[in-house]
Amino acid sequence: MTSAKGIFGANRRPAGFTESRKKSSRGFYAVAALTVIVSFFPTVWLFLTSIKEEADIYAWPVVYLPQPATLENYVNIATETPELLRFILNSAIVATTTTVVILACGGLAGYSLGRLTYRGRNLILILILAMSMFPPLALLPSLFSMFLDLRLINTYPGLIIGHTGLYLPIAIWILSNFFQTVPREIEDAARVDGASSLRIFWSIILPLSVPGLISTGLIVFVFSWNEFPLSLVLMSDNFMRTAPVGISLFPGEYSFPWEIISAATVLTILPILVISGVFQDRLIGGLTAGSGK
Amino acid sequence: MKQANRAGRFFLVPALLIIAFVLLFPIIQTIVLSFGRNSTSIFYDYEFAGLANYQRLLRTPRFITALNNTILFTAVTVPIELVIGIGLALVLNRQFRGKGLVRMAVLFPWALPTALNALMWRWMFNTEFGLFNSILTDTGLAVERVNWLGAIPIAMASMMFVSIWKTSSFMALLLLAGLQTIPDDLYEAGSVDGATRWTAFRHLTLPLLRPAIMVSVLLRTMDAMRTFELPFNLTDGGPLTSTETLSLYSYRAIFQYVNFNLGSSAIIIQFIIIMAISIVYIVTLRRADQ
Repeated sequence: MTSAKGIFGANRRPAGFTESRKKSSRGFYAVAALTVIVSFFPTVWLFLTSIKEEADIYAWPVVYLPQPATLENYVNIATETPELLRFILNSAIVATTTTVVILACGGLAGYSLGRLTYRGRNLILILILAMSMFPPLALLPSLFSMFLDLRLINTYPGLIIGHTGLYLPIAIWILSNFFQTVPREIEDAARVDGASSLRIFWSIILPLSVPGLISTGLIVFVFSWNEFPLSLVLMSDNFMRTAPVGISLFPGEYSFPWEIISAATVLTILPILVISGVFQDRLIGGLTAGSGK
Repeated sequence: MKQANRAGRFFLVPALLIIAFVLLFPIIQTIVLSFGRNSTSIFYDYEFAGLANYQRLLRTPRFITALNNTILFTAVTVPIELVIGIGLALVLNRQFRGKGLVRMAVLFPWALPTALNALMWRWMFNTEFGLFNSILTDTGLAVERVNWLGAIPIAMASMMFVSIWKTSSFMALLLLAGLQTIPDDLYEAGSVDGATRWTAFRHLTLPLLRPAIMVSVLLRTMDAMRTFELPFNLTDGGPLTSTETLSLYSYRAIFQYVNFNLGSSAIIIQFIIIMAISIVYIVTLRRADQ
């Protein structure tokens, strides 16, 4: 995995590629179909639950298909438990801002580490990576007491800083790999013309690296959207919780209110479903560039 | 030109500041706290207690149980994920109609939030109204409804199942990257020699895939050793503490029993074990290579 094309999946295999292996057998398609079914059925079941009437959700024998389908549970979220919508909004604010901050700081750092030459460069990169090996839980006791003292608990900036620190190393790693693949000649020509490093970064490297930035941004967004331990500890106020935490801790009167939980979960994983459907190339490319080396 | 490169060091400053603030300092503080008593910060009221927390932990049966649970969980899930991951990667490495859908199907479980995924499965495992019990009794495979998450040892098996379902896909994506570095002409040379699919896989694909297998097994092992959200949302560590992982134990020590120092030392022990496994693993494989 050294070429930019290879990493980011832009190059398709040559047209004549292994004709003999192209004919896929029936068994092969059975495996492929099974993969699709196994992978989607929990989400499908959750969705079916979310559009059932409450009596059909708690029924034995189980009512498999909603009869009739109803959006009642979704309406109830909006009217009776608006905090669930607030959770999703919180997640959106935190994940979006984290992504922007990481791309800005990680872009600069990745360019510096991946492209420029100075002493200690590799060491810094290795140290940054090593730090991301620590379990996130190792941060919890310290971050909690620090953020409590700094009044960052239950604030957006607090969790955004936390998520940024958590995912900056992997972003720097992916981006520095990507910057290495931008042709050097263009940069050198600009340097001869007397352009500064910042200017080269801004007007040459960045425009050429848009695919890498998109990949990294999507991965970071998904990570931040899904993050649990830090969000659990740094946001303890019920209105500041992110969606995964808020839904997990949502109290029920007698038992877990699955009619509401299923609908809220569907809403929360919708962006993830769209991203993994529309941007598969970008996600897979970025992931394998980050860890496949 | 050298000067320009030197200026590039300043590009690191914002990132390094954030990393120092969120990763480096908290990690150091957690290490220091693990040697403390009744302290939540190293800046005030810090009281040194030596190895007291560590000694206490090693005498705590619940900690030992959490340790055993975590190791069992890792030892069972990672090898199964590897086998499924190789299968999925082989499927994705071929060209066929509908590949986009299959690729999305592999990517989607990875992209799901672990916490919410655990909830989805908890609902399917539900004893009274769950999908699994319904299918089992409707097809006559079971007479009684199964208590998937509330009985020992089946709760642990259920948890392992969910983890395998979710993370095999991550394994597959890493292995796919390795597969794509294997040049096709190698297979063509092989097929001229009359190699069957299986021998080609056994003697060509597997050896060439070895580096990717090593990396993905290592990454997954480290990840499985710190499983947190899954028991938090699927079983709450129960029944009793039969699915409590090290991470869940540490979290509870810190935030439920409000003992920052004991919890910190649990986390440090966890980290030492993860490092030890990684080092042994890498050294063994290096030696096997020679």
